[in-house]
Amino acid sequence: MTIFTFALKRIFKDKTNLIFLTLFPVAAIFLPEPEYWPLLPYGYHYFGVLILFVGIRLTGLLVEDRQKGVVKRLAAAPVTHFQYLFQNLLAFSVIVIAQCIFMIAGGVIYDHELHEPLLLLILFIVFSFTAIALSLAWNSLYRNKETSFLVFMCVIIIMALLGGIMMPIEMLPDVLEQLAVIFPTYWLAEGMEWVVMGEDTADFLLINGVLLLYTLLFLIIGSIRRMG
Amino acid sequence: MRELYTMRFTALRLIRAWVVLLLLFVVPFVLVTLLSIIMGDAEEGGLLLRNEINVMMVLAFQLFGGSVAMNYIHQDFFTERRYRIQSLPMNTTLYGFTTMLIGTLYSIILGALLAGYTVLVWNVDWGNIAWSIFIIALMATLSSIVCLIFTFSVKKFNIAERLSEVYGVGAILIAGLIFPMPDHAVINWVNEYINPIMLAYEAIDAYRNANVGDAWMNAGLLGGLIVITFVIMLLLGRRRMP
Repeated sequence: MTIFTFALKRIFKDKTNLIFLTLFPVAAIFLPEPEYWPLLPYGYHYFGVLILFVGIRLTGLLVEDRQKGVVKRLAAAPVTHFQYLFQNLLAFSVIVIAQCIFMIAGGVIYDHELHEPLLLLILFIVFSFTAIALSLAWNSLYRNKETSFLVFMCVIIIMALLGGIMMPIEMLPDVLEQLAVIFPTYWLAEGMEWVVMGEDTADFLLINGVLLLYTLLFLIIGSIRRMG
Repeated sequence: MRELYTMRFTALRLIRAWVVLLLLFVVPFVLVTLLSIIMGDAEEGGLLLRNEINVMMVLAFQLFGGSVAMNYIHQDFFTERRYRIQSLPMNTTLYGFTTMLIGTLYSIILGALLAGYTVLVWNVDWGNIAWSIFIIALMATLSSIVCLIFTFSVKKFNIAERLSEVYGVGAILIAGLIFPMPDHAVINWVNEYINPIMLAYEAIDAYRNANVGDAWMNAGLLGGLIVITFVIMLLLGRRRMP
């Protein structure tokens, strides 16, 4: 598990990563509760956006490796491409899971009305996996880490707006409302609504199932080996 | 005046930087379009929401316009390229100023284009468009100066970039554009006298409502911020610029 340990070390060495992983979630916990909409406290409602930013920052390591030729050198090392990818993704997953647990535990301790904290934790973790996979697929399209991050920032804004994070999905025109289902953020917003409303369990399973399907799809796209 | 001649090449560099165009023009263009479609003719307190949101959106992206000047000054004066720039037969300080000027002008042009788009296509009421562009120009200038202060005050450029994001996102957050801020005296004071996006919006809104005195007061506050930050930038720049 050398690559796994090394990935963790590299992530925590970067000060910006530390801010994204510690300071921002702490600030999010203390954000107030809204009057009408969104249904969850602001910090939790917008946590999905933070997860997407964390995802693109973490997977940025892989673009860096491609930029510096590490991936090429790996071909000569006694490590398979699968091991390299798996151990890196495992490190990213461990970090986002810890962040989600910290966020939910913080909310429970701070006495936020989270309705079903455990189910919300599951939803956030599943969405985190989708975010990592999406970022992996996104990064595989770029050779430059900075360009990839900046363009993805635009995509995050659009996804948050059209996916029902920035405003209720019902406010969108019919065409955009129907189009919204293609965004993972739509399923996150639906999941958060389910956690608050708590209706049919099958719906929650469907939401997580769709997010996991997205994860699988993006993982396949992002795993294609590119030497750069 | 070789320094002025370089402006042409700085402009050419900018035109080729598609990511900048994407961030400062395409994204707000898409957002303005989407928000205008979503808002339709919805009103709140007799005011068209479309007017308020579109003006805020165009102003919000001006907060990030300073990244152009910041990046170019960093590339030309704080990387290995500085030795090439220093060996040129021209005044490098003046060259720095022309780079900053072009970055600011670019941001103003993009802001003016967006404002024009909102007027022509979505019929957004900016009051007096020339006054609005003047306010956009003040915001773009302030943003460039603030971003250069960050560039000059920290050693690592990555940190300066993050600080510029904190400046932009922080101003938007404090203005209550993402979620309503608590009714706290300090936050209200910051929004009334310091937050550039609120000062710019109030200046445009006051002019729109024929309240010219208030409009000039808010523009004056923005101008005051520009003077103060410009002095700080000069002091820091003299110390750090090669």
